[in-house]
Amino acid sequence: MDCAEIREALLRGEAEPSAEIEAHLASCTHCRELFAKEAELGRSLASASSLPLTLADDSFAQIETRVAEESGLRAWLRSRPSKIRFLLAALSVLAAVIVGAVLHPRRDLGDYPEARLSLLLGLYALGIALAFGKELFLSVRRGSFADFGWLVAAALALPFLVAFAPPTLASQSFGPEGAFACFRYGALLTLPTAALLWAFDRDDRLSLRTVCLSAAALGLAASLILELHCPSGNLVHVLFGHASIGLAWLALWAFVRRANRAAS
Amino acid sequence: MRTDEELMAAYISGDKAAFRELFQRYAPLLQRAMARDLRTPEEASDLVQQTFLHLHRSRLDFEPGRKLKPWIFTIALNLKREFFRRSRRRHETSLDDERAPEPFEGPRGQERSDAARETMRALAELPAEHREVIELHWFAGLSFPEVAEAVGSTVAAVKVRAHRGYVALRARLGDSAPDPERIAGKPTAEGIH
Repeated sequence: MDCAEIREALLRGEAEPSAEIEAHLASCTHCRELFAKEAELGRSLASASSLPLTLADDSFAQIETRVAEESGLRAWLRSRPSKIRFLLAALSVLAAVIVGAVLHPRRDLGDYPEARLSLLLGLYALGIALAFGKELFLSVRRGSFADFGWLVAAALALPFLVAFAPPTLASQSFGPEGAFACFRYGALLTLPTAALLWAFDRDDRLSLRTVCLSAAALGLAASLILELHCPSGNLVHVLFGHASIGLAWLALWAFVRRANRAAS
Repeated sequence: MRTDEELMAAYISGDKAAFRELFQRYAPLLQRAMARDLRTPEEASDLVQQTFLHLHRSRLDFEPGRKLKPWIFTIALNLKREFFRRSRRRHETSLDDERAPEPFEGPRGQERSDAARETMRALAELPAEHREVIELHWFAGLSFPEVAEAVGSTVAAVKVRAHRGYVALRARLGDSAPDPERIAGKPTAEGIH
């Protein structure tokens, strides 16, 4: 090992010499000094930051009280392992899709091109799974918008892009009427999932991440449900009755978050 | 003495005394880590409380074989970022306050305290990605592999970030800081790239 490699080691942040570096340091004063100074700066930082401890005497009693208050259904639900919470959220969407398809199935489902249906359902399901995954699993950079913003933007935009896809033969004869009924149907069937996501949230105050990812997942779930329910291919109908549900959920969650902040 | 991981496993099994011991081990570390960036001790205490509340709510997510320290710091860092987003406050250190500590004592106490403040001010001015790894390594006592796990990066990347932080610190502190790269007119570490 030579001096250049020693500087490379420093560049990697190896302030504490390894056995190999130690052997070189024994014979090279210059490199020994380099290493000593690197560690010295760190140690001086550590001692310069020796802030006095301001922890209150009753701080453990406070956290004990807060932990003791964690009871009831919501506390039980949000303390479930992330895999279980993910599974429950996914099952709630699946249940809503089945209920929606059984209650009011799409009349032209037999004529709907299979490849198109599979592609759409696959995209929606993938988006929902990604949004649930990002929302429910502990990850680093949770507070960073860059970490989840792309997914939210894509998930909210997807139903709008689908609205501009050419309608199928059967669906092009429909007009814009019934858009509000579809909106209501989709919003209502995603309501249980929204309640579940709220219950799963481990923050005391709704975070931006929860607001955005929940809205994204709910919007996709509503579009998936309506894809199996409504035969209309009318652009105005699909834009206002189907695609806008994600934005409506986003507005509602943001309103709740704002009210939550104002109250606290 | 039980390890952190053994304590966490015991807490998951219902041992409340284990939670108290974890609190005693980690609350001071977290309180200091939070206090460096927040304006009041109350805000720092609140975030420490929230960290332990999250630890409780997430306890069943803790997998055997995993290290507890980076896991707790991941939770704490996320809460701190969310706090700054909520408050839309600039990332400031509490060193500008009158409450700022006097870290050194002795006959040259004032002089050394000024130097410490200067050092901490220079650290606060570093880009967040550099400052974060230096703080976790030197202040919170995380090893580089633990820092890497806490911030979601590789060991090599966090070491490079730490080193670049040191270089920037020296540049800000001027002559008052140790500067290994300047010794004997050798090329700087940045020049190696």
